[in-house]
Amino acid sequence: MKNRAIAAAVISSLFLIAGCKTGDDAKAAATQLTATAKCLTDYYTALDTILTESDQLNAVEQVMYGIPYDAVTKAQIADSRSEIKKRAALAKGLTDLAASFAKLTGSSATTDASASAASLAKEVNTLQPMKGKLSSDEQTGMKVAVGLIVTAIQEHKERKAAHGMAQLTKGLHDFFVKEEPDYQSIGDQYAVLSGSLANSLLQNGQTDPAGFFKVALDPYGLTPQITDPKLRDGIEKLAEQQVTAKQDALKTAQNKATADMEKSLQQMSDRIDLVANEKPMELRIAPLSIANVEKWASEFQSAAGLNAPDTGSSKSKDATSSPSNQDQ
Amino acid sequence: MQEALAQLESTYLTMQPQIGLMLNACPSQGDRDTITTKFVAARQNYWSCVNKAFHDDDPQVISLTTDLTTANTALKTAVTQLDDIKKTIDAITQAVTVGASLAAEVITV
Repeated sequence: MKNRAIAAAVISSLFLIAGCKTGDDAKAAATQLTATAKCLTDYYTALDTILTESDQLNAVEQVMYGIPYDAVTKAQIADSRSEIKKRAALAKGLTDLAASFAKLTGSSATTDASASAASLAKEVNTLQPMKGKLSSDEQTGMKVAVGLIVTAIQEHKERKAAHGMAQLTKGLHDFFVKEEPDYQSIGDQYAVLSGSLANSLLQNGQTDPAGFFKVALDPYGLTPQITDPKLRDGIEKLAEQQVTAKQDALKTAQNKATADMEKSLQQMSDRIDLVANEKPMELRIAPLSIANVEKWASEFQSAAGLNAPDTGSSKSKDATSSPSNQDQ
Repeated sequence: MQEALAQLESTYLTMQPQIGLMLNACPSQGDRDTITTKFVAARQNYWSCVNKAFHDDDPQVISLTTDLTTANTALKTAVTQLDDIKKTIDAITQAVTVGASLAAEVITV
């Protein structure tokens, strides 16, 4: 509800801007904010998947090495996951309401804005600091921004509301920047943990290399049955190289996605600031950098079964499914 | 202080890929138990600080981070030189102990 309240404030203020001479720009900004907020939702959902799989990988490690997957660590991972889910919920609320705004006409704007403001007024005071890094400056800044928006909407001060919304958008960007290293660290531990377990299974002959030969045999309806030890050794060495390469690729891809997400949020912050200051906002498409973020996030959505049934394109199958992956 | 988390991550992820080899190199169950216990502690130290904050200007945090950086440098070598497992265990113990002190400095709400 708190997240929805913040999102409601953003959209309400956009709506008020829509009533003035920069209405077209405001509507465009809302559409772009919808796409950017959805991208942010997907980013956090992917991180949630990574944490879920990390939890499972630690259980696998216990079986492989007898290393206890202790309750403390399990709770710590669950706690991190809970925090990431809060951020995903915030981004989702913003996405939904931005989308609603973009579809509405100016005539209903005031009513909706008033309703959102009334709802927000009740909830903003209950906004509690989240633990972790959403504290001190960021927490205070976002609260101040939300309060400014609520007051401005109630007083029908469009410019004031717009400035509050710009402040809130900047706050969301700064918050993301502050937590970026943690997001990357979560991804790095996932890559190292999964890669090391995969390599260990390979080195101990606990994988079936038959999949490597499917590309040669499938066209002829033949099924691989690998019995030659030399052939198995050769494939296992190749697979180890692929696992290592994939480990590095996972880290690099997340690094790029995180940088692009930050860039997208910065661009939206700048654009909304233009609208708030009644300056022309000429760009009519969402930040281009969100495409790369969506691509990265989609790998983890399919891996977690959050989308359609797995078609074999998820990252979990990329590493060892085909020799062609060596070049990736 | 992001460097603090980076160093806690380094301790844990330096041990992770070598854990199987290290356990196999242990001549006794006691050594295996020690490595297992230290590894679990390193993992806990790391996860206890993910999505948390340190006081950037706390001299204790700065000092412990510096100490852990040094310990991690030794650890990186020790986990690949398994002919003397006692030395490896010493390096692990040093890094994990400093890491525990650093993790204790994280801000809790």
